[in-house]
Amino acid sequence: MWINMGPQHPMTHGLWNLRVKIDGELVLDVDPEMGYLHRGIEKISEDRHYNEIITLMDRTCYVAGMAWEHLFIQAAEHALHIQVPERAQWIRTMSEEFQRVASHLMWYAAFVQDIGLMSPFLYGMRDRDLVLDLFQSYTGGRLTYEYMRVGGVRNDLPPGFTDQARKVCDWLSDRFVEYDRLCLGSDIFHRRCDNLGVLKASECIRYGITGPMLRSAGVARDLRKDRPYAAYGQVDFEVAVADGADVTGRYLVRMEELRQSLRILRQTLDWLDRNAGPVMAENVPRWMGAPYAPVGREGYLLKREYPKGVGFSAIEEPHGEALAYVVNEGGEHPYRVKLKSPVFVNIAAARQYLVGYRVADIPPIMGSVDVCVGEVDR
Amino acid sequence: MSESTTAESNSSVLWVAKPLITAARQFGKSLLRPSTIVYPFERLEDPKFRGAVRIAPGKPIGVGQVWDNYRGVHALNIETCISCNLCAFSCPDLCIDMVTVPGGDPKHPKKCPQIDYGKCSYCGFCSDACPEGCLSMTTRYELSVSKRSDMIYSPQRLEEVFKAKLPMSPIRVERPKNEDAILLDPPLCIGCNACARDCPTKCITMVDLPKPVAKAGEKLPKRIWKEPVVNDSDCVRCGTCISVCPKECLFWGTHR
Repeated sequence: MWINMGPQHPMTHGLWNLRVKIDGELVLDVDPEMGYLHRGIEKISEDRHYNEIITLMDRTCYVAGMAWEHLFIQAAEHALHIQVPERAQWIRTMSEEFQRVASHLMWYAAFVQDIGLMSPFLYGMRDRDLVLDLFQSYTGGRLTYEYMRVGGVRNDLPPGFTDQARKVCDWLSDRFVEYDRLCLGSDIFHRRCDNLGVLKASECIRYGITGPMLRSAGVARDLRKDRPYAAYGQVDFEVAVADGADVTGRYLVRMEELRQSLRILRQTLDWLDRNAGPVMAENVPRWMGAPYAPVGREGYLLKREYPKGVGFSAIEEPHGEALAYVVNEGGEHPYRVKLKSPVFVNIAAARQYLVGYRVADIPPIMGSVDVCVGEVDR
Repeated sequence: MSESTTAESNSSVLWVAKPLITAARQFGKSLLRPSTIVYPFERLEDPKFRGAVRIAPGKPIGVGQVWDNYRGVHALNIETCISCNLCAFSCPDLCIDMVTVPGGDPKHPKKCPQIDYGKCSYCGFCSDACPEGCLSMTTRYELSVSKRSDMIYSPQRLEEVFKAKLPMSPIRVERPKNEDAILLDPPLCIGCNACARDCPTKCITMVDLPKPVAKAGEKLPKRIWKEPVVNDSDCVRCGTCISVCPKECLFWGTHR
């Protein structure tokens, strides 16, 4: 019998549908259906100025907006041949790591609620709010930041920011111990999650699965280490790896990533304290920097020469490897924008890690995948 | 549990009682100091939450401007607005219309932004683009209305927000250093004064050109013998002059 789990189902964490073929409690087959949240972001981007696309990137993944801004802006800068000042690179690194912490805390809150633990949900949401407060203090937004610009970032950090950020880091690192006690110390958690949703490394690689799911299978693949971008080449951290390839393994990887993120954050905050400098590139033509001029609407005759080029960027987003491809044919807008979402790949392979388990196992397994439908459908 | 020893049953009593005691203590604490902001009664902009990152129940850490940078409803100072259109052009959602406000020259009425909050995405590009700092974003965030037409804020309503003196973001975005300039293609210019007339900052002056003497058989072009000169330091790069030029003789370019 086929049943629909979704589009309105607590398991889905968003707007998608998992069709499940069941025999009693046993899952015989699954068929993920995506596309309910398709907003045509790639197509709209073709009609927008480079800086205006940032507002779309924030909405591509609504829990990791900063990472997607960073992804697109890197590709756009590659296509337009723009060098970014070093301080801007470090601020971007810091922003992305804070976003990773916020995103993983959101995942933690949602995932533990899937397996029936209520208190950790409240703890996760409470601590995520601190990170959002930090974002608000220097970008002005709590979810949609609109912070990065082609050639740098919008503004420098406000005075006193690094001290606040350090205090939040200290607070969070204490809380992570608590989180682990709540989950790993609980017998219910282990009975619910051990040896569940197993996907071996060879299968992960075959289906192109990336991020914490791949690392939980024992593959130390992390773009921050393997293909360093921004300031990741200069910070010291370790790639979190677990070897269960199951739900517990994915939990361990994400918790370790949270700790490594704090490690990176402390290094970036130290660097930002020591080094001042511009946060916006000087060779950016003014209509690409902030603020920018009219971009050719309503009869304005503003034909401008843009450098032609093709831009590519790959970053380790909180959910996995995200790629962006930007083609600039010399117009005021990109000719084509292509985004690759890691979550799309991860849930497209649902048949490989769901079949053979019980219906009641589906929420914890899908919870451990960390689904963000905004970036799946784009 | 009937077969268990005394020690084990003691520990099992503890095993049951300990979480209950912890839960009761936490419950008592949360009654005294809730972890969240009790919204209608407390507000995020209250002095006790201001200037601090909140850590758990009412324990502020650090000092800084957390709340002031928030991007909420816009405040508009109509007096300093120069009608340069830059906010409307920088808006990715096309939610800003320039509408006429009373006062000013009846022939060339003053135009100020009107914002449709049904479309606005609060990206702040308009206040970044504003050269005079008269359009800025405030910390007002309560916007619920019962009619869709109430979401459209006229310049006058935006000015009311300005007069409420809400905290505004101290962050000002620096203008890029190598800005484009307005350049002129002299042979096309007819000296019509349209650019100087409509320039919001009045940074264009018309200078007299020496009228050439026509040679035999040569016909002088029919034009006013004046030419615009742009004062780069006052120019806000709004492009109004380019759009009003009837001969398309003004264009963006870099100084050589």
